[in-house]
Amino acid sequence: MELTTAGVATLRGDPDQAAKDAETADAALAASGDGRAFERLYRSHVARVHSLVRRMIGPDHADDIAQDVFVRAWTKLSTFRGDAAFGTWLHRLAVNVILARRSTIGTERSRYHDAEGALDDVAGHRATPELTMDFEEAIGRLPDGARQVFVLHDIQGYRHEEIAEMLGIVPGTSKSQLHHARMALRRHLER
Amino acid sequence: MNDKWTDRLSEYLDGELAPSERTALEAHFASCGDCRTTLEELRRVVMRARALDDRPPAADLWPAIAEHVGVVSLAARAERARRRFTFTVPQLAAASVALALLSGGGAWLLSRRETVAARSTASTTSPVLMNASAYASDARYAAQVATLERALETGRGRLDTATVRVIEKNLGIIDRAIRDAQSALAGDPANAYLNLHLAQEMRRKLELLRQAATLAGARS
Repeated sequence: MELTTAGVATLRGDPDQAAKDAETADAALAASGDGRAFERLYRSHVARVHSLVRRMIGPDHADDIAQDVFVRAWTKLSTFRGDAAFGTWLHRLAVNVILARRSTIGTERSRYHDAEGALDDVAGHRATPELTMDFEEAIGRLPDGARQVFVLHDIQGYRHEEIAEMLGIVPGTSKSQLHHARMALRRHLER
Repeated sequence: MNDKWTDRLSEYLDGELAPSERTALEAHFASCGDCRTTLEELRRVVMRARALDDRPPAADLWPAIAEHVGVVSLAARAERARRRFTFTVPQLAAASVALALLSGGGAWLLSRRETVAARSTASTTSPVLMNASAYASDARYAAQVATLERALETGRGRLDTATVRVIEKNLGIIDRAIRDAQSALAGDPANAYLNLHLAQEMRRKLELLRQAATLAGARS
């Protein structure tokens, strides 16, 4: 019997690699039209994709955009070569979908350089027993630029050069936005 | 607190300062408690961000996605399967009544047949369902089986492998059923159902052997 790559990884006792291999296999099956394989991929990634959308763009359109991410993923599965993990490919696709949808749903409430007021607003709400702002909620109150850079860098793990390319800014602006976001959010850490 | 180093603290934290700047900032920490405190808070923000839990959407998005891309949901399949085997209470009640009637009718027929068989012990030449003991003790049955088995053995080379495999598999199943029935009958010799069951299985074996031997003979 020929062992699959996932089988070999399992025998090696590497559950992470086995899971990645299984996802790569599911992606290949889904690319050939297997809806059940695609549903498995959806179930594995929906929480992360939905959270990414919600943090990047707010809760109002999160369902709609997360759904769009998976629909786009289905149509683009043939471009997934398995060089990177399926999750990495999917989340990059999700970022692209989110960024493409920003302007159409009017989420660009402020530009990158006029966000001081909004940052002050976030920073001004100290987490007191009377007025406790959840850390997630505080992220949501950041101005768009700072929030997107913070989510992409500190939560998603992208580098400033990648973020700059995605957002069409220079790396220095990405660094600056990140610092402003962190400075605002430090007031909302749980005590 | 806002000195010239404050805006560089995130870069320091992320390891993005040039070595000379890094050295200078670390020297500054020695004399600036505010910068040390702020750095620690920024570090906690980063740790908090990395520890955020991902939450799924409140409502499952899959049905809409599945519809959009034209695939069927696993849950929908399971639901369809569940519905296929779901009965209403009246349906179940009707089924239980029907089952009771069938069981009662079957038992009545069996008891009738046993009575009839007892009344006409001499005329057992060709009953629809012969009593097992008639087969088991019938030398003609044993001889017939032996003859057909020999014929099959002789002609099996003319049958293709798949056919032989199916015949042997089915004979194995029937033989197991015969052994099981005989074993059960040993503990309950008067059981009418077991007798009937054994007779059926023995007759099935005979019929299968006959068909197989005919098939092997026809290929010659």
